[in-house]
Formats: sequence, C-alpha cells, structure tokens
Amino acid sequence: MWTLPRLQTLLASLLTAVFLLWLIVPFAMALLWSLVDPGTPWSYPDILPPALSFERWTLMWETTTLSTAMFNSYTLAPVAAVTAIVLAAPTAYAFARIDFPGKAAAQIVTLTPLVLPGFVTAVFFASILVSFGVYSRYGAILLGHVVLFIPYAVRILTVSFAQVNQEVINAARDLGASGWGVFRAAFWPVLKPGVLASFLIVFILSIEEFALAFIVGSPSFTTIPTILFSYLGYDFIRPNAAVVALILVVPNVLLMLVLERLLQSANPANVSGKG
Amino acid sequence: MPGIDIEGVAMRFGQVDALKDVSLRVPEGAFVTLLGPSGCGKTTLLNIIAGFLAPTRGRVLFDGQDVTGLRPEARDTAMCFQSYALFPHLSVQENIAFGPRQKRLERAETARRVTGLMEQLGLAPHAAKLPNALSGGQQQRVALARALAVAPGVVLFDEPLSNLDAKLRDQVRTEIRDLQRRVGFTAVYVTHDQAEALAMSDTVFLLNGGVIEQSGGPRDIYFRPRTRFAADFIGAANLHDGPISGGAMDTPFGPVPVDAPDAAHRTLCWRPEVVRLTEAGALSGKVAHVAFQGGWLDLFVTAGGQTLRLQVSGTHDIPEGATIRFDIPREAVVVLKDGANA
Ligand SMILES: Nc1ncnc2c1ncn2[C@@H]1O[C@H](COP(=O)(O)OP(=O)(O)OP(=O)(O)O)[C@@H](O)[C@H]1O
Ligand SMILES: [Mg+2]
Repeated sequence: MWTLPRLQTLLASLLTAVFLLWLIVPFAMALLWSLVDPGTPWSYPDILPPALSFERWTLMWETTTLSTAMFNSYTLAPVAAVTAIVLAAPTAYAFARIDFPGKAAAQIVTLTPLVLPGFVTAVFFASILVSFGVYSRYGAILLGHVVLFIPYAVRILTVSFAQVNQEVINAARDLGASGWGVFRAAFWPVLKPGVLASFLIVFILSIEEFALAFIVGSPSFTTIPTILFSYLGYDFIRPNAAVVALILVVPNVLLMLVLERLLQSANPANVSGKG
Repeated sequence: MPGIDIEGVAMRFGQVDALKDVSLRVPEGAFVTLLGPSGCGKTTLLNIIAGFLAPTRGRVLFDGQDVTGLRPEARDTAMCFQSYALFPHLSVQENIAFGPRQKRLERAETARRVTGLMEQLGLAPHAAKLPNALSGGQQQRVALARALAVAPGVVLFDEPLSNLDAKLRDQVRTEIRDLQRRVGFTAVYVTHDQAEALAMSDTVFLLNGGVIEQSGGPRDIYFRPRTRFAADFIGAANLHDGPISGGAMDTPFGPVPVDAPDAAHRTLCWRPEVVRLTEAGALSGKVAHVAFQGGWLDLFVTAGGQTLRLQVSGTHDIPEGATIRFDIPREAVVVLKDGANA
C-alpha cells in the first residue's frame, strides 16, 4: 500500500539523492582534475587519471596571486557585510516601524539596484568613483559592494524589524529598561536571524561579485571571481582551474555550515514574541 | 501607591479621535475598571497612563504631580498586556526578574521577590520553562508576576483575562483582586466584559466612543443607568417611551411607577430582575417565550405589540401562553437622560 507518509519519505529521499549527486559529481570531478599529475596528462579514453599528485596545488599556490585574491575577497566580504548591515538598519527600522510620507516610493527606490544589470552599475560606478577622487581599489570595491548589496540587507532587516512586537518593547520600557536594555530584551532576539541572514547573503554576494571587481580592479587588484575568470579565460587549463575552484569553494561551505547552525539556534518561531 | 487624576485628556490618531476630553479620578489603592465596547479607547487611555502615548491634550497626575511628559520607565506603573508580551527568549524566572534587574535591585532582594511571586501564583514548578511551553493561564500569571515584581504603585491591566476559558477566568479574577488587597496597589483594569467589571471594581468608568458615558459603583452603574448606551451595554434592560403623569407612565402592560415629575416625553428603564410576580400586580402581559437558565427563568412577556424581559427565580414553573401579573418597585425605575425629549 502506498500511504501518504511513505510517499513523502520516498520523495524526500529521492530529492536528497538528486541534490547530493548534483553537488558531489562536480565536486568529485574537480577534485580528480586538481590531482592530475602535470607530467602524465589525463586524456580519453582513460576513465581515471593515470597518475595522481599534489603538484598542481603547490604550483598554483606558489606561482599565482591566488593567496592575495583570497585575502582580498575574504576581507572585503565580511567588512562589506557588516557595513551594509549597519547602514541598512536605520532605514529598515524606519520602513518597518515609522509611518512617513512617501514611504512606499522610498521602499521601491531602495530596491532598484537589484534590477539593474551588474555590469551597467559597475561601469558607471567606476567612473563616479574616479571623479570623486576615490583611487584606492580596495576602498572602491568595498564601497561598491556595500552600495550594491545594501538593498538585500534593507529588505531582510525590514521584515525582522516589523516582527518586533510593540507590546514587548512597551513591556521592557515599563519595567524600567533603558535604550540598550530594550534593544537586548525586545529587539535583538527577533533581529538576530535577520542580521545573520543579511550577513550571509551580502558575504556570499560580495565573494561572488565579478563585474565591479573586474572593471574597477583588473588587472592589478584581484578577487576570487576575477582570478577564477583569468583561469577560465583565454588560456584555460582544466586542472589548474579545478584547483582554484576547490580552494574557493571550501571556505564558503564552512561558512555556510557555521551560519546555518547559528540561524537554527535563533529560530524566529521561538523568538518573535507573537502569541 | 499613588492616586491618579486624568484631566481633560484627548488623543487623536490622524483623523481618528480615540479619546475626547476624558477626565477621571482614581483614589489611592482603589480598583477601577474602564469598561466599554471594542474601539472605544480603553487601551489608548491605559497607554497614556503608562506613558507609552503622549495625549494630544490634557494632563495625567500621580498624587497631584504632573507626569504627562514622564517616560514610562520613570513612572511608578506596571502593565499587564492584552497579549501578555512576555520576553519569549527568557525563562519564567528570568521574565519575572527582568524588572528588578533593570532597576538594579540587590540580588538577594530580586531573588526573594521572584521566588515569593512564583510561590504565590503557583509558578514554581515552571520556573525554568520558556513562555512558549506554558498554557494561556500560566502565561497570564507570569505577566502578572512580572508586573508585580517591580513593586509598582499602579498596576494597569489590559483585558488580562480575555484569552482564558470561563472557569480559569473566574479563578484568576479572584486571584487578582486578592493580590491587589494583599499587596496594595492602585489598579486600573480594562475590560469589555460587564460581568468582570461589576464583580471586581470599586468604581466602573463606562467608555463609549472616546468619552466617559457614566461612572459609579457597580450597583449604581447597573441599577441606575443614565443613558440608553449604559442601559444596553451593561446587562439587559426594559425601556418605555411616553409621557409621565401622576408618578407613572402608561404602557400596554399597565402603569409603570416612577419617581419623577410630570413630563410629555420620557424614557424609563428598569432591569429584568427587579420584577415581582404577584396576583395583585398592577401590570400584566402574556408569556410569549420562556427560557430556563438553571438559577433563573427568563420570561418574554408581550402586550400591545411590545415585549418585556423579566427574570424570576428558576424555581417558578410558568408555561408559555399564560397571562401573568407583576409589579415593578418604583425605586427600581430610572429616567434616562438621553431618552425621548429629555
Ligand atoms: N496607533 C494608532 N493609530 C491609529 N489609530 C489608532 C491607533 N491606536 C488606536 N487607534 C484607534 O483608536 C481607537 C481606540 O483604540 P483602542 O485600542 O484604545 O480601543 P480599545 O477600546 O482598547 O479596543 P479593544 O477592546 O478592541 O482593545 C480605535 O478606533 C483605533 O482604531
Ligand atoms: Mg484594547
């Protein structure tokens, strides 16, 4: 007999299997390719590489600017994320909790960066920066990422701020809490998941952002996507690209796992204060 | 334990006048209720007393001191919210300790108060639970304990029992009143339940459309309503329109006695349970419908196309279709102020 729960279990396992395949196959392929020994190429009709070695890894790490690119990306991303959250918070608060004339229009305007193609923004942004006298590549890309990704933070945090229960705020004040006390008791538990989600999203978007980093930074200033592009571009060497791709993906996966944990411990259903 | 004076308070939200010129006085240590239908401005008035809202006009005084501009955290009030508004990430114990901690009370004193309140309200077994894990009645008690933990002079209740079932409501109602007498605080209690208001209060303030329609002791407000609204909102009422002459009004049921001078048009009002069934009664009518309620009997009596509602002891056995005679005591009949031509 096909009962509904059994069908659901089956579907769920099937879906999980598909996802795993989808994740694991490219990952395994990349791993294999990255271990191909430079001396003995892997070519048709061999099913597996004839010889494996870590030589590509050491080679890539030593001879390229990969480490600089990683340093750039992994410092840009968290700084951009924190800055975006800090700058987005007051706007989100206003959108969620204050009525003011022109609010609807303002909300649409803050979202417009989301619909513009990245390259369009990047091209004009680069020229604006130059005319403002911002010549630091790092600073320019940081500024660019903050501006580009603030809408996401505003959007997410607006929802979070709206979930804060006014009666809980009042209760905290009523019991003598100061501004900071009210924030900790009434706001933070509800905002936390939104702040973490905003951080995660801006972080990942910044790590992956190509257009602006390429236009403003290349060729001297590299980030992870621009250096990846240089390996996928004219002189495409598959094993080298595989090494780069793997190096790039590992920190992201770790980050995802850590934040997922944090998000779970801050389940909004437990803290929204409704009901 | 301050007394409260509200002087000419008005509150406007955009185009809505939530309160229009409300003045009232709550004596120190009294238990008063703000009673009224949904949207009449009860919560708004409570929020103004607590300091969450600044009134558009008027003043709030505690013991004669103007506190209108004072922030909520600086007022000697604590509120029990309609939705409880417990801190969902804090345990029962931490919720109750929140106020004392914010006020930087000594640790030992905080612990003493928290344990004491948990004992009194039967929350001790739930000390470590989060609010989510509690029933509505338990959450209600945590909200009450949390408010009392700051030893406030004034406790503001916003329909605290509206989410409880009938039995629990009776129980918590008594607990609140007991606690108020024992601990000693001035209580302002908001409700739209007339039975609750009558049972608990020293004084009832009946609100309607942002104004105080009538105020007084529970008996006064029940038996001597001054307006149609008051007569209607608090229990059932029988009304008669017509001229008064010689201390009575002629109705299809007979003459209804009233202590009032002659007048061309007046509206009289009396409560269903003041009626006395007697063979020698001056009034009579045909019983159209009988509803047995256990302790009492509701009789719907008609004459000349009008219907009256009478309430008599449940021990009577009166068949539908019977003609009954009854009396209404003169002192139980009031003339309404907003009745015909008044
Ligand atoms: N923040 C606000 N903005 C606009 N209008 C409001 C606001 N708060 C209350 N009102 C309006 O003021 C009136 C009184 O509201 P209030 O909450 O005081 O009613 P209430 O008597 O507590 O009703 P209920 O029994 O339903 O709780 C209502 O018409 C309401 O819509
Ligand atoms: Mg209300």
